[in-house]
Order: sequence, then C-alpha cells, then structure tokens
Amino acid sequence: MKLRNWSLITGLCVASLILGHSARAHHSTAMFEWGTEKTLSGTIERYEWTQPHTFIWISVPGRQGKMQEWGLEGMSPSWLGRRGWSLHSLNAGDKVAVVYYPLKDGRPGGFYVRVTSPDGKTLEALPTRNQR
Amino acid sequence: MRRKVVPVAWVAAACAALLSACGSQSPPTVQIPPSSPSAGVASEASNPYASLAKLPDWNGVWDVTFRPPQPGQAPAADPKFTPPYQKQWDKFQALNKTQKGLNFVSEVASCIPPGLPQSMTQPYPIEFLFTPGRVTILIETEGLTRRIYTDGSPPPESPDPSFQGTSVGHWENDTLVVETSAILPETSPVNGINGHSDKLHITERIHLADPDTLEITTTRNDPAVFVEPYTTNVYYKRHRDWKIMEYVCEQNNHDALDANGNPAFSLKHKPGE
Repeated sequence: MKLRNWSLITGLCVASLILGHSARAHHSTAMFEWGTEKTLSGTIERYEWTQPHTFIWISVPGRQGKMQEWGLEGMSPSWLGRRGWSLHSLNAGDKVAVVYYPLKDGRPGGFYVRVTSPDGKTLEALPTRNQR
Repeated sequence: MRRKVVPVAWVAAACAALLSACGSQSPPTVQIPPSSPSAGVASEASNPYASLAKLPDWNGVWDVTFRPPQPGQAPAADPKFTPPYQKQWDKFQALNKTQKGLNFVSEVASCIPPGLPQSMTQPYPIEFLFTPGRVTILIETEGLTRRIYTDGSPPPESPDPSFQGTSVGHWENDTLVVETSAILPETSPVNGINGHSDKLHITERIHLADPDTLEITTTRNDPAVFVEPYTTNVYYKRHRDWKIMEYVCEQNNHDALDANGNPAFSLKHKPGE
C-alpha cells in the first residue's frame, strides 16, 4: 500500500475517534446512556432487519421469573450488512447475551453494541477500534 | 400482350409481398452499412454517449469519511454567522456540552429527508451516474436523487424550492462544479443550524483527491445566515464491491422527535406487527 494511503487511513482513524458515533447516526443519541455498557441474557423473540435501524426484541427473565420484553435498536442493515451481519444473524428462539447502552428513562430498551451466542461467537454492532 | 402481362404480374406480386410485410408483426430490418476504417469510433454528434468516455472514473459506491486537517492545513474554522443565527449556534453548542449525544437533533430523526448540503454527509453511501448532459447522484439515505444538468442549459428562472434544490453543473477538466439554489428554507445548511433564507446557494467542487478518494468542497452562501461564505471539505472512500441498498425510513423508525421537538425513543412494535 502506498504511503499516502496509510496517511489517509491514519487520518480517518483519528477523525473517527474524534467524531465517534456521532458521525454514524441519523438522529440524536441523547435518549441513551451512550457508552455505558449493560448486559442482558434472554431469548430472541424477533430480529427486525429494517430501515432506518435494525431492532432486537428479546424476552428476558425478570422479577419472580416473569418474562419481560426488551426492545433494542441497532445500526442499519446498510451498515451492519457491510460488516458481517445479515438478516439471519439472529433468529427467534436463539439464546443470546446482548451488550447494550440503556435508555436514560429506565424503560426496557436501549441500543445494542454486541451479541454473543451460546457457542461463544460474538458479533460487533458498533465501530470497534479495528473497524475504524 | 404477353410481354405486358408479365411486368404487371411482377408488380402485383411485389405489392402483395409488401402488403403482407406491412401487415405482419415482424419488425422491419435495418440495413447496416459495411464498416469503414473510421466506423469504430462514434462521433459525439452521432452518439451523445461517446462524450462520456472522457469523463473521470467515478464508478463504485462512495462512503463518506471525515478527515482532520492535514499537516500544513489550518483547522476548520467555525462558520461566521449573522446575529440571529449566531444565537442559534451558541445555544446549540451550549446544549451539546451538557447533553451528550444531542448533536443530531433535527427532523431527519422523524424521517423528513435532509436537504442539500446535509444530504451529502449522511452515514450511508452515495453513487454517481453519468449520462449525456447530466450527472445523477443517488444517495442511499432516504433514497434521495440529485439531478445535475451539465448540458449547458441555464437553470430555470424560478423553480419551486425542494430539499435537494435545482442544480446545474459543468466540468473543469476532471472537476465537476455544481451550482444549486431553490433549497427549501426549513432545511439545515450546517449541523446545529435549522433553517435559512431562500437565497441559500451551494457550490460544490467534486474531484478525485487520489484514485479511491473523492473530495467534495462545499461552499454555502446565504447573506441571511453567513457573514461570509462557509466552505467545508468532505472525503469519500470508494467501495467498488458495494451496492446501494433500499432505504425506507418509515419502515421501522423508533426515533421520531417528541411533540416538543426533543429526541425520543418509542418501544411500540413496527407497523403491521
């Protein structure tokens, strides 16, 4: 690779670090505790491979064993599809652990960051240091 | 007599054949002249598409990236605003310091398309189509289309305002220069500012900075908003193997602004569920 290409890539990395997620969203992220990672373990109800965002509906054991539905927004099919995801990445009935940024208002929802299946396979759903 | 009958019979037979041919559904055949030494090179007069051969290669899909100032370049300066817009800008900057992530509050969250120039810096890629006398930019976000007429005809005198405005362009060597006006005044000319006058004029200079990097220099001119024209440079990385995807914002949007225009998040199931 030519030196100037490396310079460009380095520059892009720095720019991504400066701009962070803000350059990759079509809306404000003010409703989330952005950057605060929480984890949910549960069973996928539905994975919606839709615009402008993908969406995970997941059933999670709550208090006294009662199941609660959580809704987690994610990056778009356009972004995820170009980075290893597909509409078949998650399926109803899959038991997964999801790392997410929670809603500030305490409702059962947030923005998903990565998903790990029982076989230990993890899919990243936001830019990581390597993807920048 | 026999000599006269024969020609008449031939004429009748020829007419019958002609009528038969005219009444049939088969397409007429076209006689292709034998090739001459110069026949392989179509002239622009006979084939307008031949004019495209001299344009630069912008094939593939372009993903917007942001590049900080390079060594020797000055850092990007803040726009210089007129007093009412300076007030809006200061308020936006102050809010962003106290509310992390507020920086993209706009109607775009509610699926109202971004207008020019914000439509060119959305998180999803763009592509270019060259046809004779026109460049078309397809923007994945919201499935937007920009038609840039490069045939030399003047822009219409008083076009209806629209999100992407009315554009004419011309080539200066390998740089496409696009002039756009008639942009809807409720759109955003720069992040943090909502609205502008009907005088907003955008000039874009688009060229390859290196074989797989497209640079767009965008100048915003609106005396109601900017004290002096405000220029930014944005870079796009080429992905020859990507395809532009369909984008229907209303399909499953959970992020529409609330009644007060503030960021919100809905946990309602999508339509039809």
